[in-house]
Amino acid sequence: MSGHVAPKKKVSDMKRLWGMAIDLDKCTGCGACQVACSQENNMPIFDDDSDLPKRVVFLDLMKVTNDNDRDAKFGDVKVAYLPKMCMQCAGNDPDDPQPPCVSVCPVVATDVGDDGVVSQIWSRCIGCRYCQASCPYEARVFNWWKPRYEGSFKEGLNPDVSIASRGTVVKCTFCSHIWKRERDRLIAKGVTDINAVQYTPACVAACPTGAMVFGDLKDPQSPVYEEKLKRDPRAVRLVHSIDALRDTNPAEYERRTKIKNYPNPKVWYLTSDQWLREKLSGFKKS
Amino acid sequence: MEKLERREVILMAGGAVAGAAVGTVFSGAPFLGLQWLVEWTQDQHVPAPGEESYLQGKCLLCPSACPISVRMIGNRAVKVETANNGCYRPQLAIQMLYHPERLKSPLKRAGKKGSGKFAPVSWEEAIKDIAAKIDELRSGGKAAEIAAINGAGAFASAEVLKRLVKSAGSPNVYSEPCYSSLSAAASGLTQGQSASIYYDFENADFILSFGARLVEGWGGDPGRMNRAFVDWKRRGARYVQIDTVCTRSASAADRWVPLNAGTETVLALGIANQLIAMGRRSAGANFAQWSQIVINDYTPERVAEITGVGVDAIKEIAAEFARARNPIAVAGRGASAVSSSSVEFAAIQALNSMVGSLGRRGGVMLADYSGLGDVALNAQAAKGLDDFIKNGSAGLLFINDANPVHRSVYGKTLADKMKKDGMVVALMPLLNDSAAYADYVLPTISSIEGEPIEARFKSMHPVDALLSIAGAVKGLENALPWKSFKDVYPLIGRLNLRGAGNFAFPVGLLKDYLAGFAKKIGDKKYPLALVPVEAPMVGDGDGMALPYVLKGLDGLTLTGSKLWVMMNPDTAKQEGVSEGSRIDIESSRGEIGSVKVHITKTVAPGAVAIPLGFGHEFYTKYAGDKGVNAKEIMSDDIDPISGAADWWFTRVKIS
Repeated sequence: MSGHVAPKKKVSDMKRLWGMAIDLDKCTGCGACQVACSQENNMPIFDDDSDLPKRVVFLDLMKVTNDNDRDAKFGDVKVAYLPKMCMQCAGNDPDDPQPPCVSVCPVVATDVGDDGVVSQIWSRCIGCRYCQASCPYEARVFNWWKPRYEGSFKEGLNPDVSIASRGTVVKCTFCSHIWKRERDRLIAKGVTDINAVQYTPACVAACPTGAMVFGDLKDPQSPVYEEKLKRDPRAVRLVHSIDALRDTNPAEYERRTKIKNYPNPKVWYLTSDQWLREKLSGFKKS
Repeated sequence: MEKLERREVILMAGGAVAGAAVGTVFSGAPFLGLQWLVEWTQDQHVPAPGEESYLQGKCLLCPSACPISVRMIGNRAVKVETANNGCYRPQLAIQMLYHPERLKSPLKRAGKKGSGKFAPVSWEEAIKDIAAKIDELRSGGKAAEIAAINGAGAFASAEVLKRLVKSAGSPNVYSEPCYSSLSAAASGLTQGQSASIYYDFENADFILSFGARLVEGWGGDPGRMNRAFVDWKRRGARYVQIDTVCTRSASAADRWVPLNAGTETVLALGIANQLIAMGRRSAGANFAQWSQIVINDYTPERVAEITGVGVDAIKEIAAEFARARNPIAVAGRGASAVSSSSVEFAAIQALNSMVGSLGRRGGVMLADYSGLGDVALNAQAAKGLDDFIKNGSAGLLFINDANPVHRSVYGKTLADKMKKDGMVVALMPLLNDSAAYADYVLPTISSIEGEPIEARFKSMHPVDALLSIAGAVKGLENALPWKSFKDVYPLIGRLNLRGAGNFAFPVGLLKDYLAGFAKKIGDKKYPLALVPVEAPMVGDGDGMALPYVLKGLDGLTLTGSKLWVMMNPDTAKQEGVSEGSRIDIESSRGEIGSVKVHITKTVAPGAVAIPLGFGHEFYTKYAGDKGVNAKEIMSDDIDPISGAADWWFTRVKIS
């Protein structure tokens, strides 16, 4: 027999693959997603959270403009806000998902669940920061300082999310603890079908304009049905210029998607602004 | 050389080791090491467990009163859940609820005014003292010296305080200038009814906004604007934003019309010129004189020269506006903080009048909210808050959920007056810049307390606190017959819409305004224009006390204690500044600095864009030592109708 061993086929009852789509044309940059995320996930409260190097957030509300383009003029420039969290990369093998961060973690503190969510277990992390270095989206944060919550701010902490130690890497988990909460509620009602569990992460629930939607990428009824998003000319993925090759150069596209650590994120951004699509995807139409 | 004995060498080596050991112990290193070991090995704070439940309530931050659901763990509130219908503000409620600097009891001044030194007192003592002061002023014939300043966001307590002060015999009740108070003053001028201008955003199909940043917290009800914005996209209504800075509203709009700072009124006159050329007329009084000015002096060419908007663009906008079925022209520059002159409101409302949008569905109406009824008084109040601060005085001043020392351009004047004048009573959940000058600070609840969450410490709903004060004053028992805020809420906040009435063009005021404007833009000593922008959630300053708001500030808004301002590359080149330069900004009123410069093409040439809401002197440790307060040098010309300073557009120079 040859030495090649076929990867084990995934065996799981879980049929869902959670993903998110964010319509930047509808985003007003109000900040509700960021606060909701911080509140839900027990973000530390330091003496001065305006201090950028010290800041710990899972969801970063980034201001994006095209004002640095050489031919941009006052009057033609634009400003958009970009809620950026963990992109929950899927990798290129559905049976053995290896996003960039998971493949480098020496202690299995981060892994991909059956539902596609890239987990992160704070207490298992040894703080080597390989994952942080390998993440294409700077979605991971290192706790350089012990997370603090001054005085009565502790009263508002969510018991579903454990508080990290100093020296660990933390990140957005698509609020998977809310999924667990919803699952437990269904089980208490006697529903044991795992695929019946639906949930909404805190950021999506808080979005006042409905710019953020969440659901099952494989479900044709879902607002984030992946096959539909792939065909949507408004949709791009962050720093993912490979997507542009899908129609123009299928052979090259196939080749690149086979490369190890192909990210394949599960968060899509939608916008009708071409400059913004180019800026986000990193692919410029010449 | 003396020979060392083996024994001596051993002793010396032993001594060195012992010395090093003693030294290490006394250096503190082992203790620090132990502390690190403890922190590294032991787990962090574990949130207290408890039974999960959800409390249903209403967000009481604005009259929309969106339903909210609060997730409870035991008796702790951990999250506000909304149903995609509100705005960002309910999400901040938990931070406010558990803020460690929340006032734990009423406070009485214990040091000099403005020092911020207070000692706790009981509610009984505070109420007795305040009621005695009201009695004293009333019996001494000085009832008119009682005054009140309500925050723009306070609506139930503002109504009760208005009723309290007016029943006590004083007309001096003011609101911090906001969209609704400024537009009410303007419609008093043009339509003879002091009710705020209500745009039917839900049914309009062409929205022409003159610097009103509609999706950035504008109008006091961001939830309504968010819903309207999504609806415009759905049904294809066209949104055109006129603005000096490329804000998110400008980018989210279907079209952004950039213009020179402070020239919105002139652009409105230019569009009116084109509407007249298309044969549009208004039935309003004095239209003939108004149109003479517009026809003779505001040709598209001249308007293009002043505003920087091209002749073609002016003609296009006017044509689109005239062609639309339900067009509205929106006045009220700004986002959370609004500043427009009454003439600007009138010039923009004139456009609505010329296309027949006044008083119809999909157009512009007048609105007020049901209140507790007015009290007729003979005495005359000042025109508005800034007019009152500049020219008035108070023997007893209530500051209700407001921060005029920080937000008014006359903040310093008010602070000086509060130091000298009579008693100051502040009602608020956190001590702010204005409360630092108070004699009494009464702790009020945050937005989700009272209902559905129990009030923390000894804080009270501001309505309840005011009712208790009224109950302790002789002769006011019947003026405020309610027992608690729960009796008051059903009476207030109901939206009351009416037609726009007859429109009258304020020709004389327009001439005065244009003369002043010409002088202002001709100022050679101050060649640049200072215009405000707002950072997400900071608004005009209230958000700065909340750490999760600070987490949203980017590195081009604030780094360390330094605030960033934005300038166009052309202006920067002309002024000789580069990215990251530190500058001071000077107007005829004074100087602020230093701030850092970010060079970006999102700002009009000749303008400096500065974020509002920074530079608090006294507002929790989180807001402390962060940036500068632009209001200190912003224009202090008081509008003759609204009595509010028109601070939007200030001539400055940088150094």
